[in-house]
Amino acid sequence: MDDTDKAILNQIQSDFPITSRPFSEIAKRLNLKEQEVLKRLTRLKKMGIIRRIGGNFNPERLGFTSTLCAARVPENKIDKFVEVVNGYPGVTHNYRRNHDYNIWFTFIAESREKIEKYLHEISLKTGVTEIYNLPALRVFKIKAQFEV
Amino acid sequence: MLTKLKKRIIHELQGDLSIKERPFLEIAHRIGISEDQLLSHIQKLIDDGYIRRFGATLQHQIAGFEANAMVAWLVDEKDIKKVGKIMSSFPEVTHCYQRQTSKGWKYNLFTMIHGRTEQECYAIAKKISERTGIKEYHILFSLEELKKTTMRYF
Repeated sequence: MDDTDKAILNQIQSDFPITSRPFSEIAKRLNLKEQEVLKRLTRLKKMGIIRRIGGNFNPERLGFTSTLCAARVPENKIDKFVEVVNGYPGVTHNYRRNHDYNIWFTFIAESREKIEKYLHEISLKTGVTEIYNLPALRVFKIKAQFEV
Repeated sequence: MLTKLKKRIIHELQGDLSIKERPFLEIAHRIGISEDQLLSHIQKLIDDGYIRRFGATLQHQIAGFEANAMVAWLVDEKDIKKVGKIMSSFPEVTHCYQRQTSKGWKYNLFTMIHGRTEQECYAIAKKISERTGIKEYHILFSLEELKKTTMRYF
């Protein structure tokens, strides 16, 4: 990655133009040719540096609710538990962490009731009953873009 | 309320935009509206707060952030707004939420901290603790990524 790649990446994270030819617009901002920007972005995508270009939504605004869950899962049940939990499309992030409650996942669904219902299902399917449900009460900050 | 058309547009924007001259044109074609109409709908979704951010999502490691820590803090309810604001002002803090507690879990403020190493994450947490006076906290490192995906709402 050179400085031009970095400049492009910084632009397309937060100031992505909602215009007919967005990459031409970015090229103009950086004094480049549109084809040059497209070529570089295609390469950065192929390298896996760009995961995705698209919309990031506010679940609550769309009528959904989101929560963070933490489960205490015995070592020998982890594989099964992860398989069941990851099977829910509303589970978007899941990590093993260094704590007694060792599996932490985010869950988005239509309502709090739905989430309770799914967590109950998960307990029935896996035998894991120690699961914290920690819905967000207030969002202070979400910043998913980075200066590179 | 979200109209059927808005939901259809959101459905498309949850995906991955093509890297080509007119990426919105092909989406407009799939939906059956004009490119101009699509662009103004997207702008409206942004202005109305449905879309929090439109753009690229990068692999964190690229920015040199190899370590990420979730830090859960125990904050007095009456101070939580003030403390949440201070924590959010740290550039290393990417997410900051107040969360409901649970039986057995009393930590009510959560931050995601990104650093180059685990040591750096510890140092950042310490700095935050000193600045806010919040002494009781847990640092939870991710040992393994088990799932990371984008939500498909519609």
